[in-house]
Amino acid sequence: MLLLQSEIASILLNGLQQGAIYALLGIGLTIILGTMEFLNLAHGALYLVGAYTGLIVFQETTLSNGFLYSQGITTIGFGGGFIAALILVPLVGFVVGLLMERYVAEPFYDRPETDQLLVTFGLALIVQEIVRNVIGGNTFQSIAPSTMFGVNVSQPISLPLVGLFPSWRLFIIAIAFVVIGLTYLAIERTDFGLVVQAGTRDSEMVRLLGIKINRSYSLVFALGAALAAFAGLIGASIQTISPQIGTERALLPAFLTIVVGGAGSVRGAIAGGLVLGVIISAMTQTYSQWAQIVLYLFVALMLIVKPEGLFGSMEVGE
Amino acid sequence: MSREDRVAGDEPVTDGGTVADESTGTGSGGSALARLRDREDFVVIASAAALVVFPFLLIDVLGAIGDVIGTSIGGYAGLPSLVLIYGIIVIGFNLLLGYTGLLSFGHAAFFGSAAYSAALFSQVVPSPILMIVAGTVVATLLAWPIGFVSIRRSGVYFAVLTLTFGQALYFWALGPGSWLTNGDNGFSGIEAHGLFVGALPLDAQLIPVFDSYTVMYAFASIVMLIAIWVGNRIINSPYGLIFEALGENEERVEFVGLNVFRYKLMAFVISAVFAGVGGAMFTIHEQYIHPTTALYWIQSGDFVIMTVLGGTGSLVGPVFGALVFEYVANVVSGVSLPVIGSIGSLWRFVLGAVFVFIVWVFPRGIYGAFADLGARITGGGGDGEEPAAADGGEAE
Repeated sequence: MLLLQSEIASILLNGLQQGAIYALLGIGLTIILGTMEFLNLAHGALYLVGAYTGLIVFQETTLSNGFLYSQGITTIGFGGGFIAALILVPLVGFVVGLLMERYVAEPFYDRPETDQLLVTFGLALIVQEIVRNVIGGNTFQSIAPSTMFGVNVSQPISLPLVGLFPSWRLFIIAIAFVVIGLTYLAIERTDFGLVVQAGTRDSEMVRLLGIKINRSYSLVFALGAALAAFAGLIGASIQTISPQIGTERALLPAFLTIVVGGAGSVRGAIAGGLVLGVIISAMTQTYSQWAQIVLYLFVALMLIVKPEGLFGSMEVGE
Repeated sequence: MSREDRVAGDEPVTDGGTVADESTGTGSGGSALARLRDREDFVVIASAAALVVFPFLLIDVLGAIGDVIGTSIGGYAGLPSLVLIYGIIVIGFNLLLGYTGLLSFGHAAFFGSAAYSAALFSQVVPSPILMIVAGTVVATLLAWPIGFVSIRRSGVYFAVLTLTFGQALYFWALGPGSWLTNGDNGFSGIEAHGLFVGALPLDAQLIPVFDSYTVMYAFASIVMLIAIWVGNRIINSPYGLIFEALGENEERVEFVGLNVFRYKLMAFVISAVFAGVGGAMFTIHEQYIHPTTALYWIQSGDFVIMTVLGGTGSLVGPVFGALVFEYVANVVSGVSLPVIGSIGSLWRFVLGAVFVFIVWVFPRGIYGAFADLGARITGGGGDGEEPAAADGGEAE
């Protein structure tokens, strides 16, 4: 009985960690889809940018052939390399998002949604190939630091029920949920969030009320991009990094997440991400061969039975 | 399939004109050229002529030019057949995307299931025609339930649903289904006997001097002609007109009293039949099949790229897309340019950039751009003569 309990506990914990990444991706995709009715197939590319930016920042600040080392600084302590990445990566994502909104998304707001899908699909292809040709197609090891704020995070720690669990992953879960919580508050509790929320319901009406929604559009896009890049950094700290991860580990899961949660809903993206995270962690722990299949079939079933998702409205994305 | 008997039975010359004339959507210009272009026998004969010179142009002429300028820009012997195989698939895919306006990201499922079925069938009877029949039947049977479920949702959800089914099949083939599909190892060395019970080996040459005119190419050409003929017949029939109407405004079709669901499902299944034929032929041609080349969603994305590159909303436009795609993938990737150096693995980048450019500037694709250009030169005022279903859809 205790064995079963500990198994469930570890499934939930792993699911929480995977679900956090899905939720981060899903929130970004869903607010862009909801507010602008713009479908961004390049969302995975932002994850990719985040992962590789994180990799570069981490390498340059910690390795003996990195930039800081060449300046004579051999140690910055407190897991500084990763902390730097935690700040820089979302910033890079934010800027890339702003540029994407201006130069890729905006010209396509009035075009049919298939054109939006196609151009962002092409963009994703381009970003992936740039990464492959500039940085290389080889696989990099994950970039988890050994210390964080002076705390050793490389050792597993013993948790009640779960048993030994990598403490780095606990840290990841904590920080991801802090970011998710802040995003949630920003959208639920601030004026900016109010505009975004209203925009997901009826952007035409918001414009009629005299609110400059175009500026909000840029911010929403950039916020979504920053979240995707941040998800990429987190993903890069626990899994290997290669040019394919943008589509395989980010784009498809992000879509599944908002399908389950309901397009346009932040709450839905969080819930959807957690549901999918728990499903995949449960399947991986029991019948790992079937994990991906069950994931996709679950989403198909969801689309058939409850097409509006857990918290979505039918109108968005249809 | 019954399609082949039909070709054998009546030459497409018979009643082409009348059917085409009823269609008001295409070529209502009234000029003699436009009327000629609408004639079914003209379409088939022109395509046949193009198919005869195609390998010569692609391999011998481009090869000769390449010899002069010092880089090899000609294709290799197998490339023309490969282009035709993808061409067959995207003719069907365009019926769905270009005419009915449904963007499927899961057609690799039909391509791949047919490819695997053909591979498995070849171990029993290695006849190429029967392999195609087997593959197509499996793809069609698979398309029915997937279409039945996916069609219920539109827009993004349709794309995601087709994608999820395709991906589920991909992971099944990699993991739990590996007893049947050989998993990550794939099948290699798939042998198809020649045509006419092995009398004509597929790699035999038809014309001694030109090594690109193989039996395989002739075989692919015949299937391609059938595909063009069937495609032309569909889009010029009242039935195909409903596909086009669906792409433009679904609600209006519904208000007319037609069963939208049924027509969309048929469009989906028909496009899957084309993908199935192509998938089986791919197995025969490549003699190798693997989940990543056959079932992975990037393969579906490639169909989308080819179709849009070539041009939705015209019958043979997507075939040009298939040509450009395969040419870039197989020939340009080996080219070494003066400044940049070897293109090599950059080919997907080149393709992605071209793709984005085309979507941005020429929503009707390469073929549409050339058609517009031609119309402007001849002064026919061809603007909007053939509205692309993909962007005529939402006139909000």
